[in-house]
Amino acid sequence: MERVLSKIAEVTSDPYAYVAGLKERKNKKIIGCFPMHVPEEIVHAADLIPVVIWRGNEPVTWGHAHVPPYDCGITRSFVDDAVRGKLSFMDGFVFHIRQCLQAGEFPFIMERHFKPAYQKILYLPAIYPGDPTRDFALKELESFKTSLEDFTGKMISDDSLKKSIEIYNKNRSLMERVYEIRRAKPEILKAKEVMQIVWSSMLMPKEDHNELLTELIKGMEEKSVKAQKERIKVIPVGCLCQTLQFDILDLIEDLGMIVPDDDLYIGSRYFANPVNLNGNPLKALADRYLTKTPLCPTKGVWDIHWGDEAIKRMRDNDAKGIISVRVKYCPPHTCYYPDFRSKMAEEGVPEVMIEMEHEIISLEGVKTRLQSFAETIGGV
Amino acid sequence: MDVKYKVNRLQTTNEIRPLVDKHWADLRTAKERGELVAWASGPTFIFAYAMGMKCHFMAGYSAYCGGIGAGEEVLKVAEMAGDLPETCSYHRLHMGMGEAVARGIPINPQAILPMPDLMVAGRLCPEMSHYAEGLHRRFGVRVLPIDLPAVANIEDMPRVREFVYRQFKEVVIPTIEEVCGKPFDYDRMSEILSVLKKVATLRNQCWEFFKDKPSRWTLWDYGVSIAPVFYLMGNPAGITYYEKLLKELQERREKGIPAIAPDGEKYRLYWDGWLPWAFLGKFMRKFTPHGAVVLCGRYPWEFFPHPELIDPEHPVESWADLYYGMESHLVYTFSPKGTIDLIGKLIDDYSLDGLIMFSSKTCRVMNLAQPEVIDVLDKKYGIPGVIIEGDMIDSAMISDAQIETRLQALYEMIDSRRR
Repeated sequence: MERVLSKIAEVTSDPYAYVAGLKERKNKKIIGCFPMHVPEEIVHAADLIPVVIWRGNEPVTWGHAHVPPYDCGITRSFVDDAVRGKLSFMDGFVFHIRQCLQAGEFPFIMERHFKPAYQKILYLPAIYPGDPTRDFALKELESFKTSLEDFTGKMISDDSLKKSIEIYNKNRSLMERVYEIRRAKPEILKAKEVMQIVWSSMLMPKEDHNELLTELIKGMEEKSVKAQKERIKVIPVGCLCQTLQFDILDLIEDLGMIVPDDDLYIGSRYFANPVNLNGNPLKALADRYLTKTPLCPTKGVWDIHWGDEAIKRMRDNDAKGIISVRVKYCPPHTCYYPDFRSKMAEEGVPEVMIEMEHEIISLEGVKTRLQSFAETIGGV
Repeated sequence: MDVKYKVNRLQTTNEIRPLVDKHWADLRTAKERGELVAWASGPTFIFAYAMGMKCHFMAGYSAYCGGIGAGEEVLKVAEMAGDLPETCSYHRLHMGMGEAVARGIPINPQAILPMPDLMVAGRLCPEMSHYAEGLHRRFGVRVLPIDLPAVANIEDMPRVREFVYRQFKEVVIPTIEEVCGKPFDYDRMSEILSVLKKVATLRNQCWEFFKDKPSRWTLWDYGVSIAPVFYLMGNPAGITYYEKLLKELQERREKGIPAIAPDGEKYRLYWDGWLPWAFLGKFMRKFTPHGAVVLCGRYPWEFFPHPELIDPEHPVESWADLYYGMESHLVYTFSPKGTIDLIGKLIDDYSLDGLIMFSSKTCRVMNLAQPEVIDVLDKKYGIPGVIIEGDMIDSAMISDAQIETRLQALYEMIDSRRR
C-alpha cells in the first residue's frame, strides 16, 4: 500500500515530468483532454494517450496577457502553462466548449500560441428533452472519432473502442472499490491521498493505474485501522474541473473532521457510471454523458436537485455536514450555489462554503470558517 | 482639449422610449387580460410571438431595468437572496425581481414582470441555462430549453444548424402548441419576419451614415434603437421609427450636421461586447470631451446585418439559417475567429481609429480571447485597442479611474500613430 501511495504521490507531485516521461516511455502521442466530460476512451482507442488537463503548480504570470483575472483557476493556469511552453510534450487537445464559456477561449489561444498537431472542439449538448439532444451527442462523438482517425491515419474499430471502454470500466470499478473501503474505514487514507489517487488516474494510462489500484485495494482490505469515533464525518462537494489545494483537505482533517466520501470532480464524480458494453460503443459513451447523475451543473439538468443528491450522500455516510468547495469564477457552480444552500437550510443540513482560487489568498480565512463549522456540527 | 465637443442629440431617438415602455407595460398587464406570458433567452421569443403570447427577452429586460435606473435595487434583492456578486448580472436581475415579488420587497414597479406560463430558454451561452434552471427551482417556472451552441469553427456550422433546426421543429413548436392549445401559427411567424426584414433594411440604410466623416450619429444612438430589430420584432411601429430616423440622418447629411459639435469626431472607435446599459450616459461623458465617437460594435451588429437573407416564406428554416447558415451565421461572432472577421470588416467599412473591448466581469460570452483579438487586429490593420473592464448593469464592477486611464491610453496610441 505504501509503495502504491508513494508512486501516486510521485506522479501527482510533478505531472509535467510524469506525462513528458510517459510519452517517451510509451512512444505514443499525448492528447490533453480539458475537464470534465471528454470521453477519453475514444482517444485511448486511437492508440494515443489521453491525459486530463490539470491546474498548474505555479502562480499565473504570462497567462495574464491572454485571459482576464476573472476567469477561474484552471482556465488561467492552463493558458499560462501553454503559453510558457510548459505543456510542450502534448501533441493535441480536446475542448468541450459548451460546458462553460471560459473553455471557448482555448481553441483560439492554442492555435495562435501552441499550434498543436491535433485539436478538436466538442459541442456536447445540455441534457434537454427530445431526440435531437441524444442524436446530436452521438454525432459529436462520431465527429470526434473521425477527427482522431484523420490524425492517426488509422480507423478505430468498434472492437478496439469496446476494449478501451473495458479498461476504463475496470478503472471505474476499482476506484469504486477504493471508495467503498474508505467509506467503511475512513481513517485508512487521508483525503489528500484519495484526491491524489483519482488525479493519478487522470494522468496515467489506465492499464498502469489499474495495476496500482489492484495492489492498493489488496493492501486496504488487509489493513486494519482504529476507528476515531470522535472525528466528525463531512462530505466535500463541488470543486469542478480542478484539484482542491491539498492544504485545505489537510486543514479539514486537522480540525477534527474526516472525509468518508466526496462529491468532487477529482473524486467520486470522475469515475461514476460505467459505460454499457452492449451494442454500439459510441452510443454507449453518449449515454454515459447524457446520464443526469451525479448532477453536474454544466449539463443543464433541472429535474434533479444537486442538494438532494448531496444530502443523500451525506446521510448514506452518516456524515454530519457538507463543505461546499466553490472555485472562484466558476459560473456553473456559482449560479447553482444559492439554490444548493437554500436546500441545505430547508433540510436543516449544516453546510459551509469555502471559496477556492488558484493562488491561495489566505489559508487563515479558510481555517476560521472551517473551524467554526466544525464547532457547529459538534467537532473539536 | 482645446475644442469643446458637444453631442448633437437626435430627435427621433426620443421616440423609442414610448415604444419600449408600451412593450413592457403590455407584458406587465398581460395576465390581467387573460393572455399567456412567456419569457425568453436567446433568439427564441419569435416562437412565442408567433402564437400571440406576450414575451419578455432576457437581455432586453436587463437593458430596460438598467435604462429605467432599477438595476441597483433589483441586484440588491438578489444579493439578499443569496446570489453571489460574480454571477451574471442579467441572471441576478431576474432572480432579484422574482425574489422581490415572492418576498413582497418593494422595487420599482416598472421592473416587475408576471411570472411566465412558459420560459423559452435558449442556451446561447451556458449561463442562460443556469438562470432558467434557477427560475425553475425557485419559482416553479415551466421551462422549454433549447440548446443553441455558439460555434467556434465555421466548418462545424452545418451539423450544429441541423441540431438547432430539429429542436425548433421537434421540441419548441410542439411544446408551444401544447401550452397555447392551438397549432403553431407559421403565417404569423412569416409576418413577423417580413416586418423584421423591412426594419433591418431601413436600419442598414441608417448604418451608412456612420461611414460619413464626420459621422452623423453614434453607436449609443443606435444602441437605444435596437429594440425594433429584436424584441419589438414584428411591430410595424419599428418601420415608422426607422423611416423617421433615416430621414433625420439624411437631413443631417444635407445640412452638414455631425454627431458631435462643433465639427465632428477626432477619434472613430469600435465597441466590443455588451453595451453598458446602465451606464450609457456615463460612457458618453467619457468619450465626448475627447472628441471620441463610438460608431459600431459586435453586439449591436448581431441583429440581422443581412436582411436580404431573411426569408419569410420559410420562417423556421430561415430562423435557423440566420443563426447557423453558411451565409448568415450570427452565432459565429461569439467566437474569437468570428469576432476578428467581423471587426476586420468594420475597420474597413467605417474607417476606424481604435478599438474598445468592453470586458464584462460577470458575463463572459463576449470576452473570449479579447487580448488575442486586439493583437491580431493591431498586427493586421495597425489599429490599437484597449480592454476596459466593467459590467452591463452592476455599478460595483465599474471603476471610473481604470476606464479613464485606458481610454486615455487609447487616445494617445491613436495620436502617436498619426504622428
